[in-house]
Formats: sequence, structure tokens, C-alpha cells
Amino acid sequence: MDLYNQFCVAAETSGAVLVDCKGPAEAVGYIVKHSDGGVLVPSSESFKRVDLANQLQKAGATLLEVNRSQAAEAVSGVTSACFAIADTGTLVLESTPEDVRLASTLPTRHFVLLDRSKIVADGLAAVDSLRRMHQRDMRNYIAYITGPSRTADIERVLTIGVHGPKQLHILLLDDWSSDLLEM
Amino acid sequence: MKERSKAYQARIDKALATPKLQQALHQFGDAYLVSREKAFAGLDFEALRREIGVMKDDVRNNHARYMQQFIDNAQAAGATVYQADTAEDANRYIAELAVKQGVKLTVKSKSMASEETHLNKALEAANIRPLETDLGEWILQLSGQRPSHMVMPAIHMFKEEVAYLFSKETGQQEPADIAHLVEVARQQLRQGYLDADMGISGANLAIAETGGIALVTNEGNARLATTLPKTHVALIGIDKLVPTLEDAAKVIRVLPKNATGQALTSYVTWIRGAVPCGDGEKDLHIVLLDNGRSRLAADENCCETSRCIRCGACANVCPVYQSVGGHVFGHIYIGAVGIILTAFFHGFDNAAEIVKACIGCRSCVAVCPANIDLEGIILSLRETIADKEGIGGGKSLVFRKVMRNRKLFHGLLRAASVLQKPVTRGERTIRHLPLFFSPLTEWRTLPAIADKPLRDIWPKQRLNAPAKKVALFGGCANDFLYPELGTDLIEVMNHLNVEVDYPLEQNCCGVPALYSGDKETATELAKQNIDAMLKDNPEAVLTTCPTCTMALQRDFIECLKDDPSWKAKAERLAEITVDAAGYIVNQLEAADQFENLPLAQKVTYHDSCHLKRGAGVWREPRQLIETSGHELVEMDHADRCCGFGGSYSLTGHPEIAKQILGDKLQDIEKTGADCVAMDCPGCMMQLRGGLEKNESKVQVAHTVELLAAGLRAAKAKQS
Ligand code: SF4
Ligand code: SF4
Repeated sequence: MDLYNQFCVAAETSGAVLVDCKGPAEAVGYIVKHSDGGVLVPSSESFKRVDLANQLQKAGATLLEVNRSQAAEAVSGVTSACFAIADTGTLVLESTPEDVRLASTLPTRHFVLLDRSKIVADGLAAVDSLRRMHQRDMRNYIAYITGPSRTADIERVLTIGVHGPKQLHILLLDDWSSDLLEM
Repeated sequence: MKERSKAYQARIDKALATPKLQQALHQFGDAYLVSREKAFAGLDFEALRREIGVMKDDVRNNHARYMQQFIDNAQAAGATVYQADTAEDANRYIAELAVKQGVKLTVKSKSMASEETHLNKALEAANIRPLETDLGEWILQLSGQRPSHMVMPAIHMFKEEVAYLFSKETGQQEPADIAHLVEVARQQLRQGYLDADMGISGANLAIAETGGIALVTNEGNARLATTLPKTHVALIGIDKLVPTLEDAAKVIRVLPKNATGQALTSYVTWIRGAVPCGDGEKDLHIVLLDNGRSRLAADENCCETSRCIRCGACANVCPVYQSVGGHVFGHIYIGAVGIILTAFFHGFDNAAEIVKACIGCRSCVAVCPANIDLEGIILSLRETIADKEGIGGGKSLVFRKVMRNRKLFHGLLRAASVLQKPVTRGERTIRHLPLFFSPLTEWRTLPAIADKPLRDIWPKQRLNAPAKKVALFGGCANDFLYPELGTDLIEVMNHLNVEVDYPLEQNCCGVPALYSGDKETATELAKQNIDAMLKDNPEAVLTTCPTCTMALQRDFIECLKDDPSWKAKAERLAEITVDAAGYIVNQLEAADQFENLPLAQKVTYHDSCHLKRGAGVWREPRQLIETSGHELVEMDHADRCCGFGGSYSLTGHPEIAKQILGDKLQDIEKTGADCVAMDCPGCMMQLRGGLEKNESKVQVAHTVELLAAGLRAAKAKQS
């Protein structure tokens, strides 16, 4: 199995929803369709290129300012993954800017755009990029995200969505971003 | 009995009287093994754990250097680092910091280190409210309990209890529906993150290369608690240190897989330095906790424990843990590693009872991803504690005065064989014992001491030109309880043209003394046995009891390691010692000599702990059983302990042993087999005792006995 397929299988096993998108417009449509409330869109390089926030707003999304009080009210957060890890179905998000953390922790739904070509084999293969992130910035908050938030703390029964997002939607794109360090 | 021991016994009894708890832990244990196997599919667990062991040993040996590197890097990234020698020291630092910053509320994500230091109490004493946000920890906080598992802290609680606690908290009637209860927790705790001025976390890793930490979590509360409040305090045991990001990745690769059978947790969070927070930057304090860890790392016998990555697996698979739970089989840290950590972090007194509650089955050793010989370490710790406390009066006298004197010991056993006549009524087993001995035969019969021990009936063998000459190390059970097992071994070996000698100077293997913490007696017995067994220079020393095998292969060397000439002899003996099944299959390659014997039955096989996880032998007896024509049906949990554990089931913790035996008997009966085979007289004693008491039809046999019976039947047919 190639890395892309391996990633898809593992991500689905972890409880993520995978969405094939032909282009950013389709991703925008999907997000709007699945957001029945305020949406957080922290700024990122890839988002800026296509002015994603603007596109979302035009398509009818209610954009909220990304700050703490608004974030607490939001239902959706939209981010873009630096890259993904195939064997565990994991997304890697450079979350040092607080905006990214607010958008990926507080809302019930988390939408992540991912370029299909940015997938490494496993946690060890991810170290190269992880190290470069550490070399680029002196301070880091880097998140590996695998499926929605979960717990098995009551009678060991797996239950989805305890403190973090209850849904994780991965929007798969081509020609979205090629730099493994870019959000 | 000491007050402490009495109190401990009462807790055991209470736990054993809670079948719901045992059921829950058993179910978890079963499900865990299945998902763990799936999670590791395609990976070489042995190689992975060796690698982690080597890496963590390097950290231990160069701790100061890596630690300095970590601290320098963390400080360069804007963190404040505090090194706390003790729990009190850590608590004081954190409480003072909170007071200074005017903190009213702290949100905590799960941290065993803060449980270890009782941080919540210290915060409350300073009028600061600690709010646990991990679901399990919050449940425990509401109920005023401590964790009973390192990874799943509230594993001992049921949804009805949780509903009751949550209802009290919300002032509404909350139904005992798990999804609903999880939602209640989400709603109730949410505001806490936004209101709190300080977030407190632990860490799974501290990475020297970066000065960063990593958190491996599922719920998402750690991400919130390290993001929203202005101040972040990370309380980290100094044994969480790893050199590089690759090393961290290696630990993360095995940690969730081995903890719960999850490929990876929902979140792995890498944090370095004072990251942005609101309009400014985070005030990050890293509190590095020693609290006994340096002493542990410097301890000659226990230092391997510093490799631990706190996956909790050693409890998941432990039959004692499954029987009594983590509140009884642990202090703050639980299970196998809990015994050791408790001794070093919370004092020997807190470890003295739990160290005796381990039955020595080595299940923990088999699953430890850091390759720690937990059982061996627990054994040495028991010795240390026995030295400190002096082992129980009667027992130690028996060891010192009687067992070291072989003639006296064997003389007493012979005398006992005569004295027991009134209770055995001529039978081979004891069903009831009078007076205060009666608990011993309440739930299983015990074998009577044989009229004539094996040493008295050892026959002359008439092989023309034996291919090999070997010696048997019988051990007490084979010699005095089951002498026919010894003569059956002769039958089997002679069939392979191997002559077996029985050196008469051999004595008890010393394990009962060693496992009770009397190393001196064990050492004396080791010497006697080495001399006896090596005297005629046999080609191999066979064993029928895997506990003896481990004594000859491992414990003798350990006892004599400081005496070069004895050590060399011990090593020679270890080299030639082999269990009977292993000898036939691997060394003689003669399994086919038993092809299709008569008397075929449906046989299930019980793996003895010390044979499978000590000697690494489990395929061999199965091969012999199948080759000789029996139909082999596997039972569930074939390699789970039977609860014998030598003196454990007789005088140590018979109630726990009985519980473990009960589980085993169920698994045996479920197979519908005519016979359960095994390669250990201790297991035979336990299982035969239990099956007889239940009036079961299932027979108990040593693999050697099955082979001998087949050979005899074949001969009878021929003539
Ligand atoms: S040796 Fe067996 S009884 Fe002892 S701690 Fe390990 S698993 Fe538990
Ligand atoms: S001792 Fe081994 S099995 Fe037990 S918690 Fe530590 S790493 Fe896990």
C-alpha cells in the first residue's frame, strides 16, 4: 500500500472523516455545509494564497475573530496541516501561533486541509521535519492529531469527543502546498 | 502478625469480595491483549524494547549531561526550570508560585507525578483550587479517591457511581449513560480552562536535544490546559528524559500501543519554551522532580526500573492486579513497577506488603516495552525489605536451621509422611486439615507426602550402551510428593537410550527461601546443589520443575556472583541445565520417537509461568503432546498463572491464589479436554487440588507422565 492509502486507512480507523476535494472551492463548500455556527479561520500561508477566509465568507460561513471569547462560541475551526504521518493516520499542525490552537481545541468540529503529497511513513520519518521546525523557531507548540478527541475513562468504553473536537474532517487536496513546514 | 499486615489483609479480603471489579479487570485484560497484538502487528516488539532499554540505560549512565542539555535548551527558549529534590520541595515551589501570581484556580491535566507528590493537597492548603480535567482524574477528585491504574485512573469505577457523583455536581439527576456522562464532563469543565490562571500538566518525555517536552494524551484537556491559562507548570519526573527527537519518537511508537493497544493517542503535543499566549507569552515553569529517582537509578539491583515509560502494561496483565485491583496492589503507582517505585518514592514501609503480594509469574516482564526484569527486581527488593524487617519468625528458623541441613530436612519430610496418615486415610491427597490448618485445604486438596521419596526408589537402569548420561534435579515436589514423575522420566529417557542418575546429595533448590527474602539460606543451598549435581560430570542436568530450572539457570549465579570460583561452577551448572521437554525436542531432536503412541486423549496445555517466561519453553511440550497422538485443544489464557506460586498459595496470600486458580479452572473446563498437561509439579499440585475439590473429571498430568503412559501402553500392546 502506498503512503497515501495507508494514511487514509489509518485516519479512518482513528475516527476521522476523509473528504476528497478537487480544489479549494470544494473544500469551502464542504466546510460551509457542515458548519451551523461560527467558524474560526486562523491565518496561514496556504490560506492566504487562495484567500480562504474570504472564500468561506462568500460561501455563507459566519467567520468569527480568532480570539479567546469568540473561540469559545465557535462550532468549527479550519486549519491546514503541515504534513501527515501514514502509519497512524496523524496530522501534524504547527500550532505555535495561539490562533491555530484555539481553532483546533475549542470548537466541536475541526476541518483540516491536507495536500495529498505531504505524507511521511511513520513517526521516525516525521522527525526530520519536526527537527527543522525546532530549528526554524526558538519556541514551539507542535501538535500531532490523530482522529477526534476521545476517552475510555468510564468503564473503558470508547467515547468520542470529550474535551477537544468531536469531529475531525480531513479535506484532501492536490497542489495545495508542497512544503512540509508550511501550514 | 504486624498491624500493617493485618490491615493489608483486610483490604485484600474486601477487594476479593467485589467480583464486579475482578470481572471488569479481567475483561479489560483480555481486550487489551487482543488490541495490543493488533497494534504491534508487523513490528518486532523484542527489537523495539531492546532499543528502548539501551537508550534509557544511556540516559541513566549520562544523566547529568543530558539533564544539563535539557535545562540549557529549555531556559534558552524562555522556560523557568526548577529542580525539586523531594515531593515537598516541588509542591512548595508550585504553591508559592501560584500564591505569588494570585492564582485562584488551576486546571490540571493528568499527571502521575502530581499524584505522587500529593500536589492537590498542597495547593488546597494554600487556598488554591486544583481542578482535575482528565475525565478519570475528575471522577476521582469528586469521589475523593486515588487512581487505581496509571493510564486509566478510574478503571475501578462503574457508570452508576459516576452518574451519582456527576448528579451531585450538577444538582440534576444525570442518567448512567456513558456518552451522556462524558458530555456532562465536557460542559462542566469547559469554563474552568477559560477561568484558570494556571495550567498544570505532567509530561511523557523531556527531550534534551530541544529542551522541549511531549505530552501523549487522548482527551484534549492537556491541549486546553497548556494553551488557555497564562502560566503553565509542567511537573516532570527526571526519568522522563530522552536524548533526541528520534528517541522520543521511538518511545511514542510503543507507548500507546503497549498501554491500551491504541496505534497512537489522539494527541501528541510537543511544547518548547514560552510560546505565545493571549497578547503576550506563556509563563512556562518546568519542575523537574527527583523524589527518589536518583537513588533508584543508583541502586545496583533496581536501576533498570529507570527505563520505565509508565505504560501501565505490567498491571494490565498481572493476575494479582486483576484479582484485587490497583488500590490494593499498589500505593500511588501500581502493579509490578508500582512496587518498585513505591519503595523508592514513598518509602520501604509503603512497599513492604505489596512486595509480598506478587506471585512471581513474570507476565509483567513479558510485556514491558522497556525490557525491565520486573520480577527479578521485585525479588531482590523483597530481600532488602526482609533484611530490614527480619522475615517471619517461624519461617526463617525453618530456612536457616532445617533446610540448610539436608539430612534433617529430608528426615522431617519422611517423618511427616508417617504423621500425616490420620488425615490422608491412606489416600494420595489431603482433603481436609484439622484446626487452623484447615484454610489450606478449603478450596483445593493437597498432595500427601509420598510413602517413599524418589531418592529411595531410584532404580538401576540397564541400558547396554547409553548414548548419553544425564542427571535429574528432582526438586522437593518431584522427590517427596510425586516420585512416580521421576520414574516416568527414567522410562522416557531410557526409551531414548539416555541414562539418568539421581545424585543423592541434592537438596531443595532454595527458591522458597529466596522468594521469602532469605538469600543466605538460598546461597548455602545453591552451593550444596552445585556440588551434588556437578560431581559426576553429567552431560546435562534435567529438571521436571521450571522453578528449579530457573534456580539452577539464574538464581544460583545471582546468589554466588561475588565469589569467582563458585560463580564459575554455577555458570557451568546453568549451562547444562535444561527442562525435560526442551531436552528431548531441542537437544536430542527426538520428538519423533514418540510418534502415535496409544492412549490418545483430548489434552489441553497449561503454560507454567517459569517455563514459558523463564526458560522460554512452550512449543516443545505441545509438540510432544501432539506427536504422541493426543488431540491438543488450546484453552483461553493458557499462559496465565495458576495461582500456586509456592509458599504464596500456602502461607503468603492463599485468598488471592484461590481467586487466580478459580479463573484457571474455568478456562480448563471450557475446553472440554480429558486431561490438562503441564510441565511443573507446583502447577500439578495446584490444578489437581482445585479440580479434585470441584469433583471435575479432568485429569492432571505432567507431559513426561503422558509420554511414559503412552510408552507403557505401547509395550503392553506389543507383548
Ligand atoms: S510477576 Fe506476576 S504477580 Fe508479580 S507483578 Fe509481575 S505479573 Fe504481577
Ligand atoms: S515497568 Fe514496563 S510495563 Fe510497567 S509501566 Fe513501566 S514500561 Fe510499562
